[in-house]
Amino acid sequence: MPDIVTTDRLAKRYREHPVVHDLDLRIPEGCVYGFLGPNGSGKSTTMKMLLGLVRPSSGEIRIGGRPMRRSTRRELLGGIGSLIETPPGYGHLTGRENMRLVQRLLGLGDGQVARAVRTVRLQDHLDKKVRAYSLGMKQRLGIAMALAREPRLLILDEPTNGLDPAGIEEIRGLLRRLAGDGVTVMVSSHLLGEIDRTATVLGILGGGRLLFQGTRAELFARSAPDVLIDTPDPAYAHSLLSGGFESRLDGTSVRLAGLDDRATAKAVAHLVGAGVDVHGVRRGERSLEDVFMDLTGGGGL
Amino acid sequence: MGAVRAEFLKVKRSLSWVVVLLLPVALVLVGTVNTVVSGERPEEGWHTLWLRSVVLYGLFPLTVGIGVLASLVWRVEHRGGNWNALMGGPTPALRIVAAKAAVVSALAAAMQGVMLAAVVLAGKLVFALPGLPPGRYVLISAVIAAACVPVAVLQSGLSMLMRSFAAPVAMAFLGAAGAIVLLMLGAGAAASALPYALVGRATQLGTGTFADTGALTLGGAASIAGAAALLTGVLIAASALLLDRTDARA
Repeated sequence: MPDIVTTDRLAKRYREHPVVHDLDLRIPEGCVYGFLGPNGSGKSTTMKMLLGLVRPSSGEIRIGGRPMRRSTRRELLGGIGSLIETPPGYGHLTGRENMRLVQRLLGLGDGQVARAVRTVRLQDHLDKKVRAYSLGMKQRLGIAMALAREPRLLILDEPTNGLDPAGIEEIRGLLRRLAGDGVTVMVSSHLLGEIDRTATVLGILGGGRLLFQGTRAELFARSAPDVLIDTPDPAYAHSLLSGGFESRLDGTSVRLAGLDDRATAKAVAHLVGAGVDVHGVRRGERSLEDVFMDLTGGGGL
Repeated sequence: MGAVRAEFLKVKRSLSWVVVLLLPVALVLVGTVNTVVSGERPEEGWHTLWLRSVVLYGLFPLTVGIGVLASLVWRVEHRGGNWNALMGGPTPALRIVAAKAAVVSALAAAMQGVMLAAVVLAGKLVFALPGLPPGRYVLISAVIAAACVPVAVLQSGLSMLMRSFAAPVAMAFLGAAGAIVLLMLGAGAAASALPYALVGRATQLGTGTFADTGALTLGGAASIAGAAALLTGVLIAASALLLDRTDARA
């Protein structure tokens, strides 16, 4: 798969304060790219740079292989739909009138607008003023406004923010449907659980730096789960191991971090050699949440 | 044209129409009440009534009114995610700027239409003036509407750059004050370079007040319209350039 978005050492500084450092994003075409990071890690700024809303301090952005510059920006934006921060929409107008605005502005056909509205399942609420919409409906209207131009790339900044569980599930389903139709979706969140099962590729941002980029499987592989050793005298075992390993007590077990299989065998041999009974050795369960916490240093979750 | 049509849809159910209706009516009321209270009859008929309402209107209420209209038109864009949606779309900055200016100009022109109608109504109902006002007032109204365009573009640009509703309106007020000084000094040529003064001159056309000679000539009207066209072009280009170079709020 070719990459629809690539950035090369993309950076943004406000005065001397760096917000985004040397970002090399690779977003494969047709994927759902989960852009994760704690609040304030630079996700919104990065997305705004991708859309040309904010000028990068340095580095380059390519969309579909073409550089995003002031001169090419409006043309490239024709193929990108976006929803940044709060959803758009004119409160004094109805949903239908808001869609008509987009239709007139971009010269779209009735079919395109109707399809976008159906995709977000808003067709029964079009005659209500947007002011009276719930947040979830506003988000869906914003997505419909972004979708009407039938973009190849959709950039959504925290689309599930502030939604109830049903609303979050609705957005997840929507993202999956869009990806099924071949739209590349870049979606950000500060909550891993919200896009965990939807995203096929993850990019994790912390303090303005890209901490990880790749598939879920690659993310898991990158840090092996902790080894737990069950023994009747965990305190003694811990005292034996703490010299050579990263060890801590965990209930009736000793938890060892960062061990590969050889190191695990060595640890067990060390305990057995010292006459400690070993009742069990197992790998701990490791959720994506833990991996995320490790990468971001536990910030902001 | 799509961008302009979209902008006209946005002013549906907008407060702008209240301004368009109330501001000129209020000014004609002031002119009428002043005349009635002073116990005089409008000696020169329509001319007196026009002088008392339209010249006053052109001194600052018109400029401030356009400032309010521009702030109303841009206010919706500064709310929620509308700015990001508009700037993250494929519509070029020039078209966005021109469409907004077109709407503000159209509202200002509508305001002039209401003004003319209000003068006629006051003249007929309050003073029982004979006949209809001379056709020259229609021409003058057209010149005023044309002179409103650069003010509309300038105010639209200010309201685009500033999220504040009141700050651009305050600048319109200051601009109008500066224009009065220029016009009192009789600096007609310098006035053509300042949109606020140009619109003031247009409202004084044919009245003999301030820098005006009192005679309505086609050349005089054309020079105002020409200056308006020139200023409009320059201001639209400048606004589009600025919009293209403005970052979204971080």
